[in-house]
Amino acid sequence: MKNQENAAGFKIRFKFYKKDEYKYLSHLNIVNIITRALRRAGIKTKYSCGYRPKPKINFSNPTPLGVDSFAEYCDVVILEDIEECEFLSAVNLELVPQMMATRAKKIDIKSASISSDISVCLYCFELDAASSTVNFINEFTESVKNNIKSKSDFSSSIFDMMVKTSNENIIFVKLYGYVKIFKNLNNEIFKFNNFLEFFQNWIKKYNIINISYIKKEEIYIFKDNTLKTPMEII
Amino acid sequence: MEKIKTLKFSELENLLEGIQKPGRYVNHEVGTKSKDISKIADFSSMVFMALIFPDIYEIGMPNLGLPILYEIINKIKYFSAERVFSPWIDFEKKLRDRKVKLFSLENRIFLDCFDVLGFSVQHEMLCTNILNIIDMSGLKIHSKERGGRFPLVCAGGPAVVNPQPLSKFMDFMVIGDGEELTIKILEKVKTYKKSSKGKLWFLKEISKLDGVYVPGLYKFYYFKDGKISDIKPFLKVKKETVKDLNKFDIVLNPVIPNIKPVHDRFAVEIMRGCSRGCRFCQAGIIYRPVRQRNVNSLIENSICGIKNTGYDEISFMSLSTADYKDIGCLLEGVAGFMNLNKISVSLPSLRVDSFNLHLAELIGSGRRTGLTFAPEAGSQRMRDIINKDISEEEIIDCIKVAFKNGWEKIKLYFMIGFPFEEDEDIEQIVLLIKKITNTAKDALPKRNFRRFKINVSINAFCPKPFTPFQWVGQDSTGSLVKKFNYIVKNVPKKFVQISWSNPQASKIESALSKGDSSVGDAIEKAWRKGAKFDNWTDMFSYKIWEEAFKESGLDINFFATREILPDEILPWDIIDIGTSKKFLFNEYEKSRKCSRVQNKI
Repeated sequence: MKNQENAAGFKIRFKFYKKDEYKYLSHLNIVNIITRALRRAGIKTKYSCGYRPKPKINFSNPTPLGVDSFAEYCDVVILEDIEECEFLSAVNLELVPQMMATRAKKIDIKSASISSDISVCLYCFELDAASSTVNFINEFTESVKNNIKSKSDFSSSIFDMMVKTSNENIIFVKLYGYVKIFKNLNNEIFKFNNFLEFFQNWIKKYNIINISYIKKEEIYIFKDNTLKTPMEII
Repeated sequence: MEKIKTLKFSELENLLEGIQKPGRYVNHEVGTKSKDISKIADFSSMVFMALIFPDIYEIGMPNLGLPILYEIINKIKYFSAERVFSPWIDFEKKLRDRKVKLFSLENRIFLDCFDVLGFSVQHEMLCTNILNIIDMSGLKIHSKERGGRFPLVCAGGPAVVNPQPLSKFMDFMVIGDGEELTIKILEKVKTYKKSSKGKLWFLKEISKLDGVYVPGLYKFYYFKDGKISDIKPFLKVKKETVKDLNKFDIVLNPVIPNIKPVHDRFAVEIMRGCSRGCRFCQAGIIYRPVRQRNVNSLIENSICGIKNTGYDEISFMSLSTADYKDIGCLLEGVAGFMNLNKISVSLPSLRVDSFNLHLAELIGSGRRTGLTFAPEAGSQRMRDIINKDISEEEIIDCIKVAFKNGWEKIKLYFMIGFPFEEDEDIEQIVLLIKKITNTAKDALPKRNFRRFKINVSINAFCPKPFTPFQWVGQDSTGSLVKKFNYIVKNVPKKFVQISWSNPQASKIESALSKGDSSVGDAIEKAWRKGAKFDNWTDMFSYKIWEEAFKESGLDINFFATREILPDEILPWDIIDIGTSKKFLFNEYEKSRKCSRVQNKI
C-alpha cells in the first residue's frame, strides 16, 4: 500500500453534464457529489499529504446557478490504472440522469490543472422568436454585433459572439466569454450574471423575442492560436 | 382513480428564480426511495405519508430518525413516504405570493393530497414552524376544523412526550419508538382509506395501539388558578418501545443530501437510551431502557454504509457513546478500513470519564476532529445534585491524555440555573475552565500554542417533563444573565471562546415544554404575529411571544418559572413513559440532599 501511495498514479480527465434539478446545485455541492460518487464507485483516488489529506481532484470553473451545463470537466489522480470506458460506466452507475459523465480520457500526470488552463467559455442563449422575419433576424444580428459585441460594457470580456437561426424560429446567440486574463489582450473576465441582467433588459426592445433557455455549451483552452476543447488538447 | 396533484418542474423553475440555495427544494438525490407516481395505477390502495421535518433541509437531513421511518415505510410496496422540510422565508414568501401550496421533495406532491402528514418534533421551538407548514398546505391548523377524512395530521418525536401544547393542532400523536408503530398505524390508515368510515372511527381504532395519543378523546378540567383538576378518561397512553434494536438494521442506503447539511457524515446509531440518569436530562428517561446494537453487525454495516454512501466521515451516535459495552471492539473493528480509506471517525456525546488512552488512539489514528466534554456543572456539590457522575480529577486526567495524543480543540458544555444553585457553584465553573485551560496548555507542544482555543457553551437549564426536575421552576432571566456575565468576566479570554443560549428563548422553551393545551393558543398567536424558526437566534423575538401569552390570557411564569407542587396533576400525566412519577420525585428529593446514589433501571 505504501508504494502505491507514493506512486505518481494516473490522471483521468472526464467531462460531465448537469441539467434540470441539478443546475440548482452550486459548484461546491457538485464537487462533493462527484467526490462521493468516485468513492462509491470504488475508484481509489490519490490523496494529498499533510495534516488533512484531500483527494487530488480538480474541477473546471463554476457554472452559474440555474444554468444547464454540458461542459463540466474534472481531473482526478487515481492509484490504479483503469480503462477509460470502465471508469465511465463505474462513475455513471453512482450518478443520476440529471448529472452524468459523457467522456473520459487518460492524460499526462504532469499536465496543467484544468481550472488554470481554461481560457474561454461558450454560453448559448436560445431565444424564442416565433413571429420573426428574415429582415428582423438580419437587423437583430447586426445589432448584437454592433451594440453588444463591440460597444457595450461587456465588450472587453467577450471573445466572440455569433447569432444563428433555425427553422423553428429559434435564434441562438452564442457567446464566448473570457474566463482568464491575458496580458497582451487587455481583456476582462466575463461576468455571466451581470451580463444576463443587461441582456434581458436589452432584448426587451424587441417585443417578439424572449430568452427561452440558457446553457453552458463548451469550454476552451487557447493553444497555438486556436480554441481547443479540454479533450482535444490531450 | 383518485388524483394526486403535483407541481411541475417548469412551475418549480419559475418559483426558484432569485431564491437563496435553490438546491434545498430540488429532488433526485442519490438514495431516494419514494414510489414513482407515474407508475401507480390505483391510488386508493396506496397510502402516502409526508415525513415532515419542520426546519430547513440542511438541519433536517442529518436527523437520525427520519431516514429510519423513510426506509421502513418505503420498503412496503403499498406505502410511500416523501420528505418535506420548512421552506426558508424567501421561498415561503414566493409560494404565498403566488398562492402555491407547499409540496414534498420527491414527487412534488402538494401536502393536502397526502393521506398522512407526520411531523418530527425534535424540540419545542419548532412549534410555530409546524403551524406554518400546516397552513402552507392549505389546511386549517386546528384539528377540529379540518373537515375531510384526509390528510391526517400527526406528530412524534422527543418534544411531544408532553403532547398538550400541540394537542389542538394534531389529530393524533405518537409517543416512543416509531419503527414498528408507524407501520401499524399506516396499515390502519389503509383500511380506513378503503372504507367509508369517519375520521372519529379511525382515531378511536388507532387509540387502541400503545404509543398513540388522540387528544380529541380526552377532556381536561382546570381549577380557577390554571392548574389541572382532572383528566377524563384517565387512561394512560403507554410509550411504544422497540425491544430489540437488532430487528432493524441501520439504514445502509440513506438519501445522500445534495447540498451540504450541518452534519455531513454517515451516522450510525449504536445504542438507544442512557443508563446514567442525570436528573436534568429528558432523553435519559424517555429513551429508556438502554438497548445496544450487536457489535459484529455494526462493524459490518458501518463499512457497508461508508461504501454505499461515499462519505469521508462516520459518526457513532448514542446518548453516551462510551457506555456502549463493545465500543473498543467496534472501533478496533472498523479502524483498519477507515484509516485505509481516510475516513474520520467521530464520537459525539463521548463522556469525559470513560474517555481513555485506548479510545483516543483508536479514533485519533484517522483524521482528528474536536473533542467535546460536558461537565455541566463546575462544583462537585452541583454535579452531585444533578447526578452527573464525574469528578474534577477525571476531567483533568482525560484532557491530559487527549492533548498528549495530538488533540487541539475542546468544547465544553455547562449549564446554569440548576435548582439549589449558589454563587459558589458559578465561581467553580470559572475555576474549572481555568484548570482545564492550564492543563491543556501544559500538555500541548509549544508550537501549537497559537491556535489553541477552548470553546465553552453555556446553556440555561430548562426543566423538562419526565425528569426529576420537572417540578422545578426555571431560574429568572435576570439571575441567569447575572451568572453568565460573571463567567464571561472571569474566564481567561485569550484561550476561551464563550457562547450561550438566549435566556429569554430558554424561558419560552420551558413554557412550551411544560405547558398544557392552553399554551397552544399562545403558539397560534405567536405564529400569527410572524414567529417562525424560533430556534434561530436572529429570528427569535421575545416580544412576540410575550404578547402572544398575554393576549391568550396566560402568564409565561406560570408555566416556566413556577415551582410545581408535588400533588399537582401534570399535563403529561396522561402519558406512561415507563418511569413512575414516584421514582422521579424520589430522585428530586435525593438531589435536595446532594445525594448521588440512584436506583438502577
